Amino acid sequence: MSPVAENKAITVSVPTPLRDCCSGAAELSLLAASPRAMLDELEQRHPKLHRSICDETGAVRRHINIFVNTQHMRERDGLDTQLAAGDVITIMTAVSGG
Amino acid sequence: MSDKIILCIGTKKGLFVAESSRNRRGFTLRGPFGQGVGVYSALIDTRGTPRLYASSCNPFFGMKVLRSTDLGRTFKETKAAPAFPKEDGRALANIWALEAGKDKKELLCGVEPASLFRSRDGGDSWEIIPGISNHEHARKWQPGNGGLCMHTILRDGNRVHLGISTGGHYLSEDGGETFTAANKGVGAGFTPDPFPEFGQCVHKIAGHKDAPGRLYMQNHGGWAEWDGPGGRRPDIGVLRSDDHGKTWHSIAKGLPSDFGFPIVVHPDNPDILYVMPLEPATRTCPGGVPAVWRSENGGGSWQKLMRGLPKKASFYTVLRDAMDIDELKSPALYFGTTTGQLWIGRDGGEKWECLFDALPPIHCVKAAVV
Repeated sequence: MSPVAENKAITVSVPTPLRDCCSGAAELSLLAASPRAMLDELEQRHPKLHRSICDETGAVRRHINIFVNTQHMRERDGLDTQLAAGDVITIMTAVSGG
Repeated sequence: MSDKIILCIGTKKGLFVAESSRNRRGFTLRGPFGQGVGVYSALIDTRGTPRLYASSCNPFFGMKVLRSTDLGRTFKETKAAPAFPKEDGRALANIWALEAGKDKKELLCGVEPASLFRSRDGGDSWEIIPGISNHEHARKWQPGNGGLCMHTILRDGNRVHLGISTGGHYLSEDGGETFTAANKGVGAGFTPDPFPEFGQCVHKIAGHKDAPGRLYMQNHGGWAEWDGPGGRRPDIGVLRSDDHGKTWHSIAKGLPSDFGFPIVVHPDNPDILYVMPLEPATRTCPGGVPAVWRSENGGGSWQKLMRGLPKKASFYTVLRDAMDIDELKSPALYFGTTTGQLWIGRDGGEKWECLFDALPPIHCVKAAVV
């Protein structure tokens, strides 16, 4: 049985268009062990922000990228990437348009 | 007395609102609202103090519903947009229809993937309507080019008519609790069976409050040349029903093409209707010459209305919700094009004039007197 990952104090950087969903905050301080746990925490504390990042099935929206520090989470272990204290999770929109 | 015409113009880059006095001599334009985000549906709710609603299809952050209580000077997001229950497994992809419901603050919303939602508080919270959203056919419907969309919601007392592309026409006679497929006479050109029980690519359905049994449908036509299994299917594109949509028959004879998207009924006369025929292959105006076609006898015959419209080189498309008519004594038609032009057809479409010629591609146009 694998040990339960310990929550770490992390910072979530919120993109400008979504700051209205969390009272204007540009950054949120959270305790989370992984990006998945971070999203669970957002769902509890800021449901409108969570809904803008994830659809109703819980999947991260197609044009949203989640970075752990400077690395895209997919280059590590995706939503199960283990976080360290002081990590910064940045939520960014993908480059697209037309 | 009402003294303004309001137009909601949903585009690829947001919602615009145009306003004019009753004489319609000049329209002022506001917007875009929901900047940079596609708007596929709008509603001008004239019950009580007018409210404007629009969907905002954000490719990054998902669906929002915008609401204005000041005739489109400002818009705010409602507290929530429709959403499927988490265990359903479907995710909202777009909002295709916003309509007034039975009670004053009730709204109905048709979405992609094809499902129906209801709000009882003016758009701040939503519940799924299972009678159609979880219908036994629902997982068998297929998306058309625009997606698997529920684009038409028509209420007539306890009857509710829905148009789904590609699902067909569904009818409820118990206020929206249960629905049955009602597509007898509605053809499909893309299945071996020319007249399946359901699965037709209905483009739009229109009705009239004074003739509740009468419905008109712009279906996916353009199959006259098909010579495979099931045989030719000419004239399946423009249809009429006189029994609340239970059976349908063609009224396409006399049109240059039975393919098109919008269909609109005159506010004072259920025998007068309008379509915009398009070439099936390109979905643009036949020969590059746009024209609205009007019938004054319920589809028995058709007249071409093109005075003021370009005479050549106009290869645009008018989408399913991009044509509407106002309710003044001599009503004006309005249509928006995928090339960003908004046209007004004064005197019921007799004389056309371009109101705005360089908007983003237009998805929907709604007109109301407020």
